[in-house]
Order: sequence, then C-alpha cells, then structure tokens
Amino acid sequence: MAIEIAKAKPVAPPDSTPVDPAYLKIRDLIYRISGIYYSEEKHYLLKSRCERRMAALRVTSAPEYFEHLTIRGNRDAELRLLLNEITIGETYMFRHPAQLEALRNVILPSILQAKGLISLKRLRFWCAGCSTGEEPHTLAMFLLEEKDKLLAGWSFEILATDLNDNSLEAARAGIYGEYALRNTSDAMRRKYFKDVGNQKLQGNDLLKAPIRFERINLSDDSKMLFQKGMDVIFCCNVLIYFDLASKRRVVQHFYSNLLPGGYLFLGNAESLFQVDDSFRLVHFAGVTAYLKPTAALAGGGKK
Amino acid sequence: MNEKLQFQLRAQISQMDSISTAPAILMPLLEMLRLPSDRISLEKVVELISYDGAIAAQCLRLANSPLFGRRQTETVRAAVMALGLERVRSMLFGLCVNRVMPQDKWVIPPDAFWRHSLGCALVTQRMANKIEYPEPEKAYLAGLLHDLGFLVNSVLYTDGFRECLRLAAEQHLALHVIEEQVLGFSHCDAGQMLCEHWGLSKELVDAARCHHDVCLLPKAGPLACLVHLSDLLCRVRYLGYGYEEFMGVDLGGDAAWQALVRSYPALEHMDLVRFTFDIDGAMDQIVATVDAVFGAKTMTAPASG
Repeated sequence: MAIEIAKAKPVAPPDSTPVDPAYLKIRDLIYRISGIYYSEEKHYLLKSRCERRMAALRVTSAPEYFEHLTIRGNRDAELRLLLNEITIGETYMFRHPAQLEALRNVILPSILQAKGLISLKRLRFWCAGCSTGEEPHTLAMFLLEEKDKLLAGWSFEILATDLNDNSLEAARAGIYGEYALRNTSDAMRRKYFKDVGNQKLQGNDLLKAPIRFERINLSDDSKMLFQKGMDVIFCCNVLIYFDLASKRRVVQHFYSNLLPGGYLFLGNAESLFQVDDSFRLVHFAGVTAYLKPTAALAGGGKK
Repeated sequence: MNEKLQFQLRAQISQMDSISTAPAILMPLLEMLRLPSDRISLEKVVELISYDGAIAAQCLRLANSPLFGRRQTETVRAAVMALGLERVRSMLFGLCVNRVMPQDKWVIPPDAFWRHSLGCALVTQRMANKIEYPEPEKAYLAGLLHDLGFLVNSVLYTDGFRECLRLAAEQHLALHVIEEQVLGFSHCDAGQMLCEHWGLSKELVDAARCHHDVCLLPKAGPLACLVHLSDLLCRVRYLGYGYEEFMGVDLGGDAAWQALVRSYPALEHMDLVRFTFDIDGAMDQIVATVDAVFGAKTMTAPASG
C-alpha cells in the first residue's frame, strides 16, 4: 500500500491553489496499480492527463472520474486508457540524457573495473519493451561514441525486444522523422543515419550492427530464462501494464538475468516498491536505477 | 586531523576577524534561529531587520518580487508577513554571512553554496516531517548550517581550499575527501569548531561535524543522520557544490538510514522511492526559493550600515 504523503510544509508560493482530493486518490491508485508516481508538484500533469479522458467520457468532475476508475463496470479498460494517456507516444532519441550520463560516469566504469579482472571483455545490454527502437538506437550511438574511449578493447551487444510485431518491424527498419531525432545532433545524424527522402532518416549499418532485435513476451518464462549475462537492462514504462504477480515474475527474471553489479533502469517515475526488494535503489545525478548487488556491496557504507 | 592542527585551527577561528566580529544582528539572529518558528516574535524580527538598512531593503525587494505576487509592500513589517518567518530568517542568516565573508575570499561560488545549504535545509526539514521528528525547525537549521566549515576554509586557507575545489571538480570527487588529503582536515572539522565558537547546541555541532560520516559518533543522533542523507540527495539532484560529482547513492543501504531506522522502526517499511520522488518533485521549487532568497542580485548587494 502506498504510504501517506509527507506532511512537509509546502515551499510553494503563497498563491498556489490546492489540489482536488479526488486527484490525490487517483494518484495513489495509479501508483498502486502501475508504480508510476506523481509528486505534489507534478499534479498539474496528472490533472491534464485525466482531463483528456474525462472529456472523452463527458465526465465533469474528478470524483466522478475516480468512480469510473474504481467501481464502474469498465474500470479495468478505463485504467488502461488512462495509462496509455500517461505514457503516450513521447518517445525520441536521447530522451533521458541523465541515464546515459550515469552509465558513462559511474555505472560503466564500475562494471568495467569488476569485469576487467576476468578476461572476457564483453558487455550485454537489453532494451526490454523497445517499442519502435528509439531506445536501443540511442544506446547504440552512445556506446559507439565510447568505443575508442571508455570502451576501448571491449565489445558490446544490445538485445532489443518487444511483444508487438508492428513495433518490432518499425524498430528493425529504423526509419525516423524529425520528432524522433529532435535531440540528435547533426554530427550524429551524419555518422549513423542515411537520408531516405520524405524528410526521414534511416539508421545505417554501423548503427545497426550492435543491435539484435527479437520478439519476446516478458511473461513467457521459458524465453525469459535464457537471457543470462546482462550488464544493464532498460525497461521503461512497460511494467506499468502488468498486474502485481506478473510484474514480480518479470522483475525476478531481470534480477537473475543480470550479472552481480548490473543495473536495471525503469521509467522516470516508476517504482519497484513492494514489487521486489532484492534490487537496491541507487540515485545518480538526475536519475535512479536498480542495482543487483555483488556480495561485497550488500549492506551500508559511508559516502 | 592531528591534535596540533586541531589546536591551531581552533585558535585561528577564534581570532578570525571577519567572522568573530560579525554584524551586530548575527548573534541575536542565531539566538532566534534556535526557536521553533511559532515562538519567534514578529516584532523582534522586524526590529532586527529595521536595524540594518541594506537588509531591510532586501526584504522589501524580495517581498515585492513576482515570486510573491508582486505585492505593494512598503513596510518591513508587511514584508516579513508576506515572506513568512522561515524565508526571512534564512535570508537574514545568508545576508549576515555574506556580509562577514570578504568578497574576494569566496572559493565555492556563493550562489552554489547557498543553493546547497538552503536546499539541504529544506530537504532535511521535509525528511524530518516525514519521520515525525519532533523539531523540524531544528532540522531545517541543521541543514542550513551544516557546511559553514567551507566558509572557514575559504577565509583561513583560501589558496589551499581553492586547490581542493579545483582537484575535486577535475576528478569529480567529493570535496571533503580532497580536503582531507590536501589540508589534513575537512570542512566538517572547521564547521564543528565554528559552531562551537558560536555556542550552538551540541546536536547542531554534531550535524556539522559528521554529516559526511555518521560513524564518527558512537551513536549518531537523528539530526546528523537526516542532514547526511539530505546532503547526499541534494548532491545527486544538481544542488551540489557547483561542480559535477560522479556518484551513486544507495540511501537505504546507508549507515545513516540504518541508524534512523533503529530510532524510528516504522521507517523500515517506508516507501523510499516514493519519498525521493516527492523530494525530486520539490527540487524545482527549492531551487526557485533559493534563487529568490539568495539570487544573484542579493549576492552583490552593497554592504552598508
């Protein structure tokens, strides 16, 4: 169960308006069901997402909409529609620079140091729920850029999986328009893409070489068992659609597939609270990730 | 830190011209900072502020700023009421310290220093409320004062400390680690001594002393633990010392968190993720508040009166 929010004194300017308590209930419901959390200061976002659904349903008040999510007959479908609204197609390359910074500055150096002791200089990444491929392509660009620097002497591969065949097909084709490339510099575009007309760019062979696309259902235990030896797993805004029991299984699979010292990244506001307590939550500059501890890392220490 | 160095530093602090001859309002202000805000008299605050023309002008300017609804505030009393005692006292403290710090001695940029200190104060207070610590005001103050040792090092060891900051920024390491290597002591030691010199309570002294290592004390009090954790949170949320530290923070595995859980067993089942999301969500506002209180204009205000 979600714990009541802090009774901290608001630092908000004195003219900020109070939130309708029904939105607090909706916020807690979403958190309990999906693990996605809206802090007090982000309520306006939650409110605008709910309002879109409320307009579609011709519902005028938040308390009434809360009923649609909880006691009306179509509540499961409505909850899914709201989750869709929350995670709506907001995907583009280099969307989470803080994740890449954490990889470059802290995570990869520590993994390289630990793995450098053994002779196998290979890294494995997994984008679980890669949708139309923006995430694995971003990761590929990032890693290729580090090839002669941080990763000199190392090889790497990215496993990119999704359940949806259409998404996977689009991801394999790797053709993107301006929206997906809005954060991609000209230098990167020239190096890793070719112009295919119609104001679209397609990933070139250099970009595609490290990525292996595969259809995997995260609920398929038999397939999940065989993805061992991962160093970092990305699974952003995918688990929110799973019920608690399936979520636990998927996360346990991630845990056993990761090498000790490996990390799991979830979406920005997703939480594993009460889903799994084997991972350790670690804060990096502007981003959080989940660590599978090595035996030596278990327990506390000073910083 | 060896005994000789400790003795020397203590003597230097008691002779520090700028800090020991603080503005007349600093001592009554520190006295006032020890009280919970509902025991502070508005009249007393207004009196203190009115005593100092430059500070009174800052109060009016801030109360009339867009952040507070651009009120037409013309008296100090109305300005204090518009801003709220909490903001006013952190602003007073900041202005006093800015006044006593010779401008050419700042090593950490003043805006970074205040962002970190006030950010830490606000986060410490939030955490204190969350765990139902009985004196959230004291928690706020502990956060605000925890890094005063940086000012001592800036004044007394300007060049050495500047070198520390340069090395720490270059290697993306924690500043206290480099201070230990270069100076032989850290801002924790210097802060402890300054807080003692100012006659602050033992809890505040302890928080300044062991905010980077709660294991220094056989039994760290909750205040020191709260400050330690909020200092870490601020540093991974862009409220550090003005340079990028490469670090990962495991709050739940931290010794300070474990010490807190021993004092507040309910914390064991707390949703730490959600708690940090709340803090994350508040960060933008914390930054806005800090900038409003110690914004660039405030930093360069002429020192008069």
